[in-house]
Amino acid sequence: MRFKFLKGLLAASAIAAITATASFAEELSLKGKTIGVTVVGTSHHWDLQAYKGQIDELKKMGAEVIALDAGRNDQTQVNQIQTLIAQKPDAIIQQLGNIKVLDPWLKKIRDADIPLFTVDTITPHSVNNTTSNNYGIGSDLALRIAEDMGGKGKVLVFNGFYSVPVCKIRYDQLKYVMGNFSGIEMIEPELKDVAPNTVQQAFADVTDMLTKFDKDSGLKAVWSCWDRPSVGATQAIEKAGRNEVKVYGIDGSPDFVEMITNPNSPAMAVAAQQPYEIGKNAAINVAKYLNGQPIAPITFVSSVMITKDNAAELAKDFLPKK
Amino acid sequence: MDTTVSDTKSSIDRRALAAVFVRLGAFAALGIILLYFAIYARGFTSSFNLQNVVEQSVILTILAYGMTVVFIGTGTDVQKGGIDLAVAANAGLSGAVFVTLLNLGWPEPLAVLAAIFTGMAMGFLNGLAVVVFRMIPLLATLAVMNIASGLELTITENNVIGVSSEFLSTLQFGRFLGISALAWVLIVFTIFVAFLMHYSPFGVRLYAVGGFPEAARAAGLNVGRNIYFSYIFSGFCAGFTSILIVSRLSASTLGTGLLLLPVLAAALLGTVFSRRFVPTIGGTLIASLFVGFLANGFQLLGVSSYWVSGVQGALILLVVALTSFAKKSEGA
Repeated sequence: MRFKFLKGLLAASAIAAITATASFAEELSLKGKTIGVTVVGTSHHWDLQAYKGQIDELKKMGAEVIALDAGRNDQTQVNQIQTLIAQKPDAIIQQLGNIKVLDPWLKKIRDADIPLFTVDTITPHSVNNTTSNNYGIGSDLALRIAEDMGGKGKVLVFNGFYSVPVCKIRYDQLKYVMGNFSGIEMIEPELKDVAPNTVQQAFADVTDMLTKFDKDSGLKAVWSCWDRPSVGATQAIEKAGRNEVKVYGIDGSPDFVEMITNPNSPAMAVAAQQPYEIGKNAAINVAKYLNGQPIAPITFVSSVMITKDNAAELAKDFLPKK
Repeated sequence: MDTTVSDTKSSIDRRALAAVFVRLGAFAALGIILLYFAIYARGFTSSFNLQNVVEQSVILTILAYGMTVVFIGTGTDVQKGGIDLAVAANAGLSGAVFVTLLNLGWPEPLAVLAAIFTGMAMGFLNGLAVVVFRMIPLLATLAVMNIASGLELTITENNVIGVSSEFLSTLQFGRFLGISALAWVLIVFTIFVAFLMHYSPFGVRLYAVGGFPEAARAAGLNVGRNIYFSYIFSGFCAGFTSILIVSRLSASTLGTGLLLLPVLAAALLGTVFSRRFVPTIGGTLIASLFVGFLANGFQLLGVSSYWVSGVQGALILLVVALTSFAKKSEGA
């Protein structure tokens, strides 16, 4: 009885907290502020949605936005950041990218006394990083794969973007979890996903690997830290008629989610993130900070595990807009 | 008879006038665009920003020097002569070699030499394909470009390979007499190449070979050797630039090949800023800085970055059209 009461009280205060945050967010204003947004590229669903989420929300709050898309070119992004620092905006949001390349420049931003906010980038120089809980995503998906494999067999992994912090976390979690199953082997050398031409390259690579690892080889799963290679892998497996090999990914791009909803497709599960919400939250964090409100160093935005079993129920918000 | 002569003369006058018009027009357009940025783009003329643009243009400029030397030595007519489409990819490969060797524990000077040697070796391959196999430069260097980017992928396995050292961070953020290290590199390199091309007997010979290969051959110059030199020098520029790229990005990353379009734009645009529409080091320097100012000005004005590469492509078209038109005028 008492426990029930406590639970009710907790729920009520949680709702109150959420409403309070929402009303705070409505009152937040960035009028007269200039905010820079820098992103290495927007050629993928996730990148574009997160980028749009930031820009839309910043503009809604009245900010002037300097939005910079480097077109997947590290040198362009470094040039853009250098010019951006000279423009002295009130804050800068940096989204994704190679941390080895960016970190000295992110430090320059801090050295210039411009508050830095990041999306999916862990760096000591940022006030706040808005992201999915990639530790949770990584281990949940890994456990799911181990379960589907029955605890034994081979996993083929794409690991071309270990220098992107979120990919590192997800990959490390996968390795950690799989290390607990003595019957599971991660195939080495790993495949390297590329950008651009990710899907085509993944299709070709997986086709070759299916030849190398035949039906009796014990190959059961393909993993990647996002879901572009997963799309190519799914197509390759279908074409080779090797549907016993299942495909997993992270992000929740509409085309891959659609594959999961198809009962005959080897696409099994995706940890679907809410990139637009992530971008929006990063913008709200900037506004809170500039309005003198306290913010935590990390903001987690929830994600959803969409699987073959629950797709009918959960996939609809992630499917292609028709 | 008299009327024909005067007709021809007046048409030559008119064409020469048109050529002057194109050249002056180019300078005027450059001036107007810079003036526009100075008035409307906040912070454009601040010394901090101007230095930024120079720093951002160093890599582009030195690669464009490589392309310019290829233009000079293999045919000053940029449409029919030589071209080095591999120069940017070559820089990417040299950077990958540089970083990999550093991470293997090689001493820095040796790794630097190895990177430059890699660039020159790819340049030699270009020369071989053009001189010995008599391939069209466009196709030959396209093939070498693919070899370079393939090798880069093989070495790096498509990874971003980080590297850090005192030397590299000095190049990245160091300053001397109030001028950044990168800007110093540009100044010294420009003086060196300008002297080599415009004030040494060697440069005169290279222009002769590129401008009139038959006449040069008749005069006893070794045309093939000069073409080899052009491509190997371009490779040297690529290798040299790779060190700057690695210092700026603290890593070797794929995507250096994407510099090809701006490099081409700068080297071609450079010809417009010379007296006879021939490639010159000064012209290329002005053009590279212009390409840099364009990207910078657009960002300061809040024009979408998506426009920049489109404008670069349009510039190439415009320049090639204008120079071929102006050349016809001068040749008549």
